[in-house]
Amino acid sequence: MEITLTHYLLLAAAIFVTGMVGFIVRRNAIVMLMCVELMLSSVNIVFAAFSRFHLDGGGHVFVLMNFAVAAAEAAIGLAILVEIFRRRRTVNVDDLKTLME
Amino acid sequence: MELNLNIPSWSDLRFWLPEAILCITFLVALLGDLVVRGRRTWVPFAVSVAGLITAGAYAVAAMNHGLDAGQFQGHTIMGSLMIVDGMAGFFRLLFIFASLVTVLFAWTSEEIMGKRRENKGEFYALTVLLTAAMMVMAEARDLLMLFLSMEAVGLISYVMAGYMRTSLRSSEASLKYVLFGAVSSAIMLYGMSLLYGMTGAMEFDGIRNALISGTVDPFALLVVVVLILAGMSYKIAAVPFHYWCPDVYEGAPTPVSAIFSVGPKAAGFALMIRFFYTTFAAGTDAGTQLVQDINWPLLVAVMSVATMTYGNLVALRQTNVKRMLAYSSIAHVGYLLMGFVLLSSAGLASILFYLLVYTLMNLGAFFYVVAINNHLKSEELSDYVGIGFRAPWAGAMMVIFLASLTGVPPFAGFVGKFYLFTAVLDKQWFWLAIVAALNSVVSLYYYFKVVRAMFLSTPAEGTDMSPLKLHWLQYVVLAMLAIPTLALGLFFEEFKGLADMAIGMMGG
Amino acid sequence: MTAMPFLGTATSALTGHYATVLIFVLVGFVFAGLALGVAKLIRPSNPSPAKMTTYECGELPIGSSWIRFNVRFYLIALFFIVFDVEVIFLYPWAVMFRTLYPIAGLGAIVFWEMIIFLGILTLGLAYVWAKGDLDWVKKLTERPENGAATAALEEEASAP
Repeated sequence: MEITLTHYLLLAAAIFVTGMVGFIVRRNAIVMLMCVELMLSSVNIVFAAFSRFHLDGGGHVFVLMNFAVAAAEAAIGLAILVEIFRRRRTVNVDDLKTLME
Repeated sequence: MELNLNIPSWSDLRFWLPEAILCITFLVALLGDLVVRGRRTWVPFAVSVAGLITAGAYAVAAMNHGLDAGQFQGHTIMGSLMIVDGMAGFFRLLFIFASLVTVLFAWTSEEIMGKRRENKGEFYALTVLLTAAMMVMAEARDLLMLFLSMEAVGLISYVMAGYMRTSLRSSEASLKYVLFGAVSSAIMLYGMSLLYGMTGAMEFDGIRNALISGTVDPFALLVVVVLILAGMSYKIAAVPFHYWCPDVYEGAPTPVSAIFSVGPKAAGFALMIRFFYTTFAAGTDAGTQLVQDINWPLLVAVMSVATMTYGNLVALRQTNVKRMLAYSSIAHVGYLLMGFVLLSSAGLASILFYLLVYTLMNLGAFFYVVAINNHLKSEELSDYVGIGFRAPWAGAMMVIFLASLTGVPPFAGFVGKFYLFTAVLDKQWFWLAIVAALNSVVSLYYYFKVVRAMFLSTPAEGTDMSPLKLHWLQYVVLAMLAIPTLALGLFFEEFKGLADMAIGMMGG
Repeated sequence: MTAMPFLGTATSALTGHYATVLIFVLVGFVFAGLALGVAKLIRPSNPSPAKMTTYECGELPIGSSWIRFNVRFYLIALFFIVFDVEVIFLYPWAVMFRTLYPIAGLGAIVFWEMIIFLGILTLGLAYVWAKGDLDWVKKLTERPENGAATAALEEEASAP
């Protein structure tokens, strides 16, 4: 079987949806962050595949930048989680209701 | 594989001086904070103020130069990643002004400068960096820069929202901000990757050309537009991507909420205007000719109505002034979206003008909350009873801000709304204008509730009625916002002209 | 709906080059499987309780290994992630440097761009270091006005 652009896009879509569903279903903030990383990775696949398809380097550059941004986002998210965990001993977002009405 | 190199030449950077100055200011402020070991907080404060003023001076000079030359169609920077044109010039000034008054006011805020706070210098340094990132948002003309600038603003905002490390509320606000921000930027990114796939271009003009050539499947394009619009609506907190907004504004320190309610929102609008106007409307007034299969006006109009109605109705039953202002800022995004419905230059210019007015009045209202919080340590409406007489001048200015937010003549808010309404009415969107007018009436009720508590309600027996002593800097900053709010209501033509010019001089 | 112009029509050049990689991976699996399989067949097997315990440098393991790790590990990991991933920008730069450097007017820009980038990164590291976030044991006397909060952190950090 030949692997075409479609396969890459389908794989990316599947990963993206997995991340999205995980983000909605799971209540553990760390898992939610991981699901977001999954979504970002799927975007990387799309960009890399299209970059190859168009024979244009722009997509690859985007992927590199995306790596760095995703890492920074994860680092900030985890730092805040550590801070919250020190105080509340939980990372379950349903327990964080100080700001609800 | 062809690699399109975007290597900047140093000479390009002379058009980018304000941003470069702010980036250097950030580093110097951070280093200065390190050198004084966080003790003499005035060092990062002074560095930030000086940097913002210098950058502002250069931005004004660039604006004047562009106007004198009669054309400010833009200089591209770093290859084709960014463009400095009339619109970027307008937003530069707006952001620098907003950050400058925020930095000045934060100096007197207990939430930022209180005895128990750590890393006070970081607040000033981060505000400066946030300004630079927002300016880049208004300049981006490439998908990559669009994403990077949005993420830069986002990442800085997450840290600033969690500034009060010892406060659980602040950390919780920050966590919600990170989670929602990350997921919405991922959604937008997915849309952007598909757009890149369909058009093979990263620059906005390349995307436009690909769209004009008509090889793009309309259904796929609709999906892309919805995905990208979702990510941007998050940035401006439009329904249904507003969930983070009240929680973050309530939990973050009030000066931070003040800049959040103005800066990133205005930057989000700048980004939306440039992206959708230059790619989908082909930079013309013909509206959404490239995307006929998408009912763009209806899509945005429904979002606009939903946003303003939701914001106003929920604001009605708030008892916390800060949270009420958060919902009111959502409502104002709804009004602003009205100018976006037809993607016409008149509508976009009225958005710019309203953003200017909104910056003045909303910052003013938030700053008053900061000043009162310094003394009362509370933002509850019930604690505001009689507060107007304890600090009459500040109270009077708060009334100006609230009246302007409602849109009562002769204040600036009225003029701004007037232009937004005209932009819609010109194209016979009567129902939208009527809904917006009804919404303004609703908003009168909750803004007036604050005024009533401040001046008209009789305080309970034994309430402390001693005069509040506000810092002189607070009066100066409040006056810096209140006087233009009054003046813009009467002498608005100059600034409306500036907004028209900014849209007219938008380089594609 | 018309056919999506970007779906299905492209034949990918990606497959050809990676056949080598696939063969390499397969050989790797086969080799490892073979080695482990043969060893399992010919080695003597007489397990005892002492042999089945988790290996912990010859010490008897205490408690479960599913314990909560000290929060300081996470902080160090955070710093590592940030600084490590930023290095990703060095790769494309290094690859292109030899091509770009001889071009007149471009060489200096390409070189100094990366120096500025690394300089900012170094400043970040210096900031973290000077703030004392890299210290394993934090000093209590460093921030006297915030003694209470720091003490609370210390107490939590020393818990297992």
